[in-house]
Amino acid sequence: MSVALRLALLLVVLGCVYLFLAHPYWFPAGASSLSGLIDHQFRIALWVFGALFVVGHLILVWALSKKPHAGGMASQGSWQLEVTWTVAVTIIFFWFNISGDHLWSSMMPPAKHGTEIDVEVTGAQFQWYFRYPGADGAFGKTDAQKFARPDEGNPLGIDPSDPAGRDDIVSTAMIVPVGHAVQLHLRAQDVVHSLFIPAMRFKQDTVPGMEIISHFTPTKIGAYEIACAELCGLGHYRMRAVVRVVSEAEFAAWLKQHGSF
Amino acid sequence: MPIISDRVEIERKPKLGGGGPGKIPHRRGFGGGDDGDRGRPEDFRSRNQRMRRYRIGMALCLVSVTAVFVALTFLYVFRLGKGRYDEDAHRWVTDWITLKLPYLLLWTNSLVLLLSSATLELARRTMEKKEEFAAMGIVPPRMRRDLPWLGITLLLGFGFLAGQVVVWNTLRHQGVYLVSNPSRSYFYLLTGTHAVHLAGGLLALLYAAGGRFLALRFESQRIAVEVTSWYWHYLAFLWFGIFALVHFARG
Amino acid sequence: MPMLNQTPDPKAIRNDSDPSLRSGFQKARNLFSTDHKIIGRQYFFLSLAAVLVGAWLSLLMRIHLVWPKAIILFLGEIKPENYLAQLTMHGTLMVFFVLSTVPQAGFGTFFLPLQLGARNMAFPRLAAVGFWTALTSFLVLMAAFFVPGGAPGAGWTQYPPLSALASAGPGQGLGTDLWLVSIGLFCLSSLMSAAGFVATTVSHRAPGMTWMRMPLTCWSWFVTSILILLAFGILLAAVVLLMLDRHAGTSFFLPGGLLISGRAIAHSGGSPLLWQHLFWFFGHPEVYIAVLPAMGVTSHLLSVFARKPVFGYKAMVGATLAIGALGFMVWGHHMFVSGMNPYAGFAFSTLTTAIAVPSAIKTFNWVATLYGGRIRYATPLLFSAGFVSLFITGGLTGPILAQPALDTYLHDTYFVVAHFHLIMAMAGLFAIFSATHFWFPRMFGRMMNERLGRLHFWITLFGAYAIFVPMHLLGIAGHPRRYSDLSGVQYVAAMAPLQKFITLAAIVTIAGQLIFLANLFWSMRRGPAAETNPWECGTLEWTPASYATKEGPGEWRPQVNHGPYEYNVPGAENDFIMQDAPAS
Ligand code: HEA
Ligand code: HEA
Ligand code: CUA
Ligand SMILES: [Cu+2]
Repeated sequence: MSVALRLALLLVVLGCVYLFLAHPYWFPAGASSLSGLIDHQFRIALWVFGALFVVGHLILVWALSKKPHAGGMASQGSWQLEVTWTVAVTIIFFWFNISGDHLWSSMMPPAKHGTEIDVEVTGAQFQWYFRYPGADGAFGKTDAQKFARPDEGNPLGIDPSDPAGRDDIVSTAMIVPVGHAVQLHLRAQDVVHSLFIPAMRFKQDTVPGMEIISHFTPTKIGAYEIACAELCGLGHYRMRAVVRVVSEAEFAAWLKQHGSF
Repeated sequence: MPIISDRVEIERKPKLGGGGPGKIPHRRGFGGGDDGDRGRPEDFRSRNQRMRRYRIGMALCLVSVTAVFVALTFLYVFRLGKGRYDEDAHRWVTDWITLKLPYLLLWTNSLVLLLSSATLELARRTMEKKEEFAAMGIVPPRMRRDLPWLGITLLLGFGFLAGQVVVWNTLRHQGVYLVSNPSRSYFYLLTGTHAVHLAGGLLALLYAAGGRFLALRFESQRIAVEVTSWYWHYLAFLWFGIFALVHFARG
Repeated sequence: MPMLNQTPDPKAIRNDSDPSLRSGFQKARNLFSTDHKIIGRQYFFLSLAAVLVGAWLSLLMRIHLVWPKAIILFLGEIKPENYLAQLTMHGTLMVFFVLSTVPQAGFGTFFLPLQLGARNMAFPRLAAVGFWTALTSFLVLMAAFFVPGGAPGAGWTQYPPLSALASAGPGQGLGTDLWLVSIGLFCLSSLMSAAGFVATTVSHRAPGMTWMRMPLTCWSWFVTSILILLAFGILLAAVVLLMLDRHAGTSFFLPGGLLISGRAIAHSGGSPLLWQHLFWFFGHPEVYIAVLPAMGVTSHLLSVFARKPVFGYKAMVGATLAIGALGFMVWGHHMFVSGMNPYAGFAFSTLTTAIAVPSAIKTFNWVATLYGGRIRYATPLLFSAGFVSLFITGGLTGPILAQPALDTYLHDTYFVVAHFHLIMAMAGLFAIFSATHFWFPRMFGRMMNERLGRLHFWITLFGAYAIFVPMHLLGIAGHPRRYSDLSGVQYVAAMAPLQKFITLAAIVTIAGQLIFLANLFWSMRRGPAAETNPWECGTLEWTPASYATKEGPGEWRPQVNHGPYEYNVPGAENDFIMQDAPAS
């Protein structure tokens, strides 16, 4: 039994290690200015804690296989050991914890410096809407309860009487120029959703009644899927959208094309 | 406190202890079980033991009551501080409407509650004395006066609840409804929760006062009054906390 | 106390000398008993019922995920709303009615007084009322399946506005109301039993049962009860507020301007984040409420079956207390991307890292307890060793999730599902299994079958890893949680093969549980009669006298002279010393 148990544990470890080395599924290729750093941090995390996982199990197996020393009284513990491993794990864990702090601070909303593209994201059961301020650079007022007419092309309820709203562009796909910081204004119409762009390593809940400012900077031209990551009802699983990262010229053209309706 | 005493005893030896072989000096009367009644195993159900048990129980009850009211206070302050995103002005505005409290009513209620607390304390003390005398075998006639105090406490307690209902009604007549504004919701929430807890205390007191008819042993009656008085004083204290909160933090 | 410490004669110690066994608890007279042994068993069977439903639901979920068109017996095809309802009920049942019930209220009510040398809980009637409240709460929850709209579909976390508005989806109507009532009742029941636990521990310890002589199981039950007293009141308050928002028109959690499926909602002024703060302020302590008793059982059993004292008893106690204290300061790690002030992320991530340290200390002490012991490889030991393994595996993903920058990506993906199934679900169940095998003779007077027990262990060990380790990869590849269907998003649809594998593993594992059930019920009737102390364990619940305990003066009052884990003491005639053995 003893042997069987140890073999089983070793087998489990081998299986897990194999699975992670083979990793049939893995991160999608990163496409944002931060994805490189984040992936690096992930690599550290997986290696360090993977190692702890293996070591931990090896120690367990070794302890199981240790023959009892005849006679004498078994140890009831020793402060030296307790202190040693407490200090050890404290160092490992906190080193890891601190090593991630600069990343988190770099993900926080930076001071506005005008060059970024403003996009307002609105989550609604079960559809994403992306609004661009248009030529005047200002978003029109909205009042979903008063003016929202999804079938009449005004799902967000932009106030018709507000001039700033006239040239706003509302799209169901996010179009952004490569290399520009994108400033997202995240909102929700009904329940909590969560804008998840795996390729950008980006996720942010959209909460009704709040406007949350967040940002990312796409660095690769292409189309990337957006998923909803917060349970929002029946259609949660199909609340999908696409972010199309295009060249500056294309973006300008797209704006012009949709600028006026 | 047993904890202290064992610590002193045990930790002379620099080891992790407890787990293993008898390093702990064998000593009778440690641990909780027999603290109340050293060396007298049979009176597990002794008055001391029961009183001790119910006191602990009440202390624990107060712990979770505290947790709840602390949470509600946190919510109140959180909500008071936070505004709502104004769609039109595109800025944060607070929608917290300061509510005008019927101070006269509130102060009378507070007074009533304070009095009830006092009378309950009197009831508790007379019972305590009575018990001491009973232990000596003599109960002087004047000692029969614990029930009046309980009765008065009950009256005052119901008085306070009635008073609170009056407060809510006056607010309602001023068009201040539960739903009309967060400040209202929270006022009703805090006072309502407090009232519910107080009603619980009233039930306990009724039980104690009805002891006669429920054929309670005096001892049980005494214990009921003892622990309920703790609860009652604590609720009185909480009431003033709530009052202070809605007064000073009325936005 | 003449009846103590006399060498028990073989016939006297047939366990039917336990009165609560002799008059089987089916008898109506015993149904409403205040005997902690009977209440403990009642909790046990309540949880058994809950876990069966919960496991069945997980099976349906798994099947629907990979074969959406599958027709399931009696249920027909599963629609998305069914999936979400099953998900919510699965989580609720498993967290509340299984992991917060058996290890604490179940085994605890039965064994806490016995291990402390007391005749009964401090408040027997309160304990009984606690159980009946829990049962009611369970029935109310089950009723949610049968009301129009079905069970709620907002997940066990019930975030508003989804959970606050009946119009937000099927199951958000009456189903959610029942869920809230049920959880409210469950809070009350937990508070009642927890108060009894603390009072018992403080005031009912036998003479000589000092704090540092309490078995680690008692320490865990004690600390857990304190967590319950502090946490469940908060959940109760939150549930009441949500009810008010749903029916009294208040707006604690509902902001203005909501437009749900084209209909304007009148509420205004509330904040959905408020619920998240309240829920997780309860929710994180809750997960430690779920695991602390399991840790206690593991420490206890490793010592018994390694025939060695627990390594670092005081460090274990300290770690338990530290986990309890820190548990209240980390709730924000569930809300890194919720819209909470991002600067709070720093504080919560640091505190969360801090709480991982005592957990690691415990792990090391378990390993050290096994080290160099005369290990007896009985089923309970196998499951306890499995617990340690699963706790390491599931725990090590914790500090990764605790890092906001990484959690931004991992939050609400299957990586989290993998994390908590390994450390909570599977580790917790392993502790339940080992405790069941270990205490079965004491609870039912018979032994469980070892061979079946081992078979069940192997299947469950490999099953647990096969189901939940691959989920890490799904999460890393960005597979969000709570998706009732894989077809909605392309990169998710691409993960179907791995999902299929997981489902197959789950089917085998769940089927394997039938072995356990068969073993359990067969042994209750036919198992070989157990001796008084089959595992040669030193704690008081195994003393012959403890079998005869009934509440009452002069009954059972052991004099404790020894620590709980005195194994292989040089010079002792046995390789273990009962706690109430005469002082040497
Ligand atoms: C029993 C329950 C339990 C336990 C014990 C834990 C333990 C931990 N949990 Fe977990 N957690 C949950 C249950 C639990 N969790 C649940 C249910 C959720 C999801 C809720 C939901 O959203 O539905 C969750 C979610 C969750 C999140 C949120 C993820 C998200 O939603 O985005 C986070 C983030 O910080 C987290 C962190 C941690 C950490 C740091 C620990 C630490 O305490 C872990 C400590 C343990 C270890 C660190 C391993 C110890 C071993 C060693 C270190 C030794 C190895 C080395 C050698 C021997 C050499 N957990
Ligand atoms: C204790 C907790 C627990 C347990 C045991 C399980 C067990 C299982 N869970 Fe569950 N699960 C949760 C807690 C648990 N889960 C929670 C909290 C969620 C989140 C819900 C939400 O998102 O809102 C979740 C969500 C969840 C999901 C995520 C769905 C999604 O996000 O889309 C999935 C998917 O595969 C899943 C699968 C399983 C499977 C296959 C098992 C299998 O392991 C089941 C096998 C069954 C057993 C091994 C138990 C058998 C036990 C006995 C027979 C007796 C023992 C009891 C006594 C002796 C009293 N669970
Ligand atoms: Cu929107 Cu999930
Ligand atoms: Cu947590």
